[in-house]
Amino acid sequence: MSSIHLKGLTKHFGSFQAIKQMDLDVHDGEFLALLGPSGCGKSTTMNIIAGMEGATTGRVLFGERDVSDVPMTRRGVGFVFQNYAIFTHMSVRANLAYGLKVRGVPKPEIDKRVAAIADFLQLAPFLDRPSAKLSVNILQRLAIGRSAIVQPAIFLLDEPLSNVDAAFRAVMRTELKHLQRQFKQTMVYVTHDQLEAMTMADRIAVMDHGVLQQVGTPLDVYNNPANVFVARFIGSPGMNLLPASLRETDGNIVADLGAAGVSRPLPRGAAKAAYAQGIQDVWFGFRPEELSLAADSQGIAASVTFIERIGSRTVVHFDAGQAAGKAVFQNDVPLHAGGAAHMVPADAAVRLFDRSTGRAIGEA
Amino acid sequence: MRRPIAFEVFRYAAIALAVAITLVPIAWMTSMAFKPTAEWQATGANLTWWPKSPTLDNFRFIFGQSSTALIVALERTAAKPILSSLLSAGFGTLIAMGAGTAAAYGLSRFKAGGNLPLALLQLRLFPPMAVMIPVMVMWTFLKLNDTWFGLALIYGIVTLPFAFWLMKTFFDDFPREIEEAALVEGCSRFRVFLKVTLPMMAAPLASSALFVFILNWSDYLIALLLTNREWATIPVYMASLSSSMTGQLYGAKAALGLIAAVPPVIAGIAIQRHLVRGLTFGALKQ
Amino acid sequence: MTSFAETEATLAIAADDADRADRRLGLYLTLPAQILVLFIAVFPLLMQLYISLTSWSPLSGRGWWDAWTLWNNFANYLNLAVDARWWSALLRTLLVMAICVPAEFLLGLALAILFMDNFRGKRVFYSILLMPMMVVPAVAGYMFFMLFQSGGPVNNIASAISGHNVAIAWLSNPSLAFIAVAVADIWQWTPLMFLILLAGLLGVPDDQLKAATLLGANWWQRFVTIMLPRMRAIIVIALAIRLIENFKIFDTLYIMTAGGPGTATETISVFIYKLTTNDLSWGYVAAIALVVLISLSVALGIAIARQTKRREAAS
Repeated sequence: MSSIHLKGLTKHFGSFQAIKQMDLDVHDGEFLALLGPSGCGKSTTMNIIAGMEGATTGRVLFGERDVSDVPMTRRGVGFVFQNYAIFTHMSVRANLAYGLKVRGVPKPEIDKRVAAIADFLQLAPFLDRPSAKLSVNILQRLAIGRSAIVQPAIFLLDEPLSNVDAAFRAVMRTELKHLQRQFKQTMVYVTHDQLEAMTMADRIAVMDHGVLQQVGTPLDVYNNPANVFVARFIGSPGMNLLPASLRETDGNIVADLGAAGVSRPLPRGAAKAAYAQGIQDVWFGFRPEELSLAADSQGIAASVTFIERIGSRTVVHFDAGQAAGKAVFQNDVPLHAGGAAHMVPADAAVRLFDRSTGRAIGEA
Repeated sequence: MRRPIAFEVFRYAAIALAVAITLVPIAWMTSMAFKPTAEWQATGANLTWWPKSPTLDNFRFIFGQSSTALIVALERTAAKPILSSLLSAGFGTLIAMGAGTAAAYGLSRFKAGGNLPLALLQLRLFPPMAVMIPVMVMWTFLKLNDTWFGLALIYGIVTLPFAFWLMKTFFDDFPREIEEAALVEGCSRFRVFLKVTLPMMAAPLASSALFVFILNWSDYLIALLLTNREWATIPVYMASLSSSMTGQLYGAKAALGLIAAVPPVIAGIAIQRHLVRGLTFGALKQ
Repeated sequence: MTSFAETEATLAIAADDADRADRRLGLYLTLPAQILVLFIAVFPLLMQLYISLTSWSPLSGRGWWDAWTLWNNFANYLNLAVDARWWSALLRTLLVMAICVPAEFLLGLALAILFMDNFRGKRVFYSILLMPMMVVPAVAGYMFFMLFQSGGPVNNIASAISGHNVAIAWLSNPSLAFIAVAVADIWQWTPLMFLILLAGLLGVPDDQLKAATLLGANWWQRFVTIMLPRMRAIIVIALAIRLIENFKIFDTLYIMTAGGPGTATETISVFIYKLTTNDLSWGYVAAIALVVLISLSVALGIAIARQTKRREAAS
């Protein structure tokens, strides 16, 4: 087992900067999800950790050990490829035994460990089958087993569920999480699917455009997004962000939403500090789930553009003057498309972001 | 993956050696072609790798200018053999491509002529030497001996397998949806083939034709058996560039060899992308 | 009112018509190729069989159709069985194959491995290395004929390296002539192996190579366990092409040595050629040609059957 530390990592492909500047610590035994839209640099980060690509600058440490110049053959990380990269010209058994065989482990020992891992992953019935025509869940277990058999301290998974159909994905998610608990390895899991990240990871590292945006527990990332990108990216639908300007009324800081009205007094600390620093232009943010209907002339005045009623919840699309937003209600609401709506976000749910930098105006 | 410096050094050294070995014979012939008589006749310690006084005399000589140094002029110039090579290889390519393309389309689309692929593979397998007796008998009977069209006909047959297999893999790759759209518009199958498919296949057709042309242009044995004087092709004629009086006319041979070598090398580089497909009968499409 | 069944029947007929038209067009399209194959394969083979049973020769003063008057009771085939020159030509051909094809394969594979990843100048070197296979073989023959003269550049280089005056008569010494011919063949056809094997190497899935590397396999282990098994079909194709072509070896060899000195480099094609043009014993040549053709067909049949069997076993 081993922690991973990325220090001042950058990666250029010609003039394209895949990773601009990155520092990241993955704790020992942790399940970290590297989350971001495609092209954000998450796979490149993973390849650098595995040693498939060298970083342009910066170091990679496993625990105390600097492995930046250790070639991938000797880096000893387990890696599960997006398409599993099973050696299809070999049997399941030969695939499992591969890592031990190339290390020169004696045959009886190989047999023992293959049997053990096959048992653990329920691959025993398939051991002597050719691996070319197995179903995808068996292939996935085989890919994991093939890497796990050499007991790597670090396990990297590159979107292993992206080739699986939606129905099966839930099953695989549970299975993966279960496996990680058993192996207790440090796992880094690359995905663009926030649901996978939220459900499985101990912590999530959100990336965009080669920049690490935020690292935190799933709930932390969800509740306290560090910036506008994370606020919009996490959550489905993402956080509502309305342009607003801060002003002081009766000793309270309020957000003026223009045509949509004026917010209730904002919680003191952060808003006040920001206002004191001269920050006026902000994004007024709140989760769609945190809205409740308010009496006329109160809360945010908006017009309803349309309503999706999907049984368990109701999604109201609204237009609040300068920006559009969504509201999610657990029950049906007496609103109709084209009508007016007055809604108010829970005080504790309001988040402010500096409009010039996009950063959260937080408690800190 | 980062490679150690030692590997890079080794790689460049190995490739440099391979390139040198590749180029020496070609360079030597090129050098000989531009040497004056005294230089190409030199042997042993007197050899020069680079022509000291480069000249076009060898080229002038094979096209009929008498050589003062050799005190001879050629009885037959290289003009007719070059024409013969061009005509026979060119029309041979036309025959192979015409029949091959049509058959490939027929097989690819309508599964017609199911026995053809294997028959053509077999045709390719046989040494031409082993079917030449009946061909020579037939060609004498049909008065096709020592004519460029007789040679073109046999070239067309010999390279038919290449034309067929190449075009078949190209047709197999060609999206049928395009043809089906034209069919729905009311075109007949044959018109679709002529007006839609073939024009869109212009590039593969051109590279296949070049490939087949190189093969035909490269022949020696068949021309040796089927032509002797009138329509001898370049390689056959080349043997005549020596006699008991003059000895081997290395300069003239090198000059003609250069003329013969240049077109296929250029064509080959032009169709580099499709070479693998052609050589492996489409088994590999890279 | 047309019933549903009638409409369906009309449609079926229309589809049938289209089908028949398609089949007819397919037939027309393949016709020229079929005729050409018939022209070179079926009829000539029958003629070949006929002539091979006689002692007919173009000098016999009769048309080939009258060859039956020269019927010789299978003497051609019986003679062939005990013709020492034929057997040594066959052995020599196999020896050329046994030397040239493995050499071309190994050199081509080594070059292909060097060209697997990118480096500066790759495209230029690639184009240069492919040049020999595009040179007209007869011209290549003349190139090596010039190079291997006793006063030629090969000896010149050898002199420069060794410091003595080297004047080996390569092409008039039986074993040296054999080496010279093999060198020419390897020079010309290694590029073909290189080209095909490189395509094969580049077709090995990158992910699998990376997976093997991450599992701790060194280069040699990856080569043996991933690359070679993955390239198996391509290696078979490359070897088959070169074995077939090498069996026919004629152009370079004939120009360099004409099968000589004596019969030191006489391969099957040269042997048949000499019988055809010098001895004019066409009945005998026809018999030899048929034996070669039938042997090759049988070999091809066995190879294809084995390949099909393997493919079936694999699936």
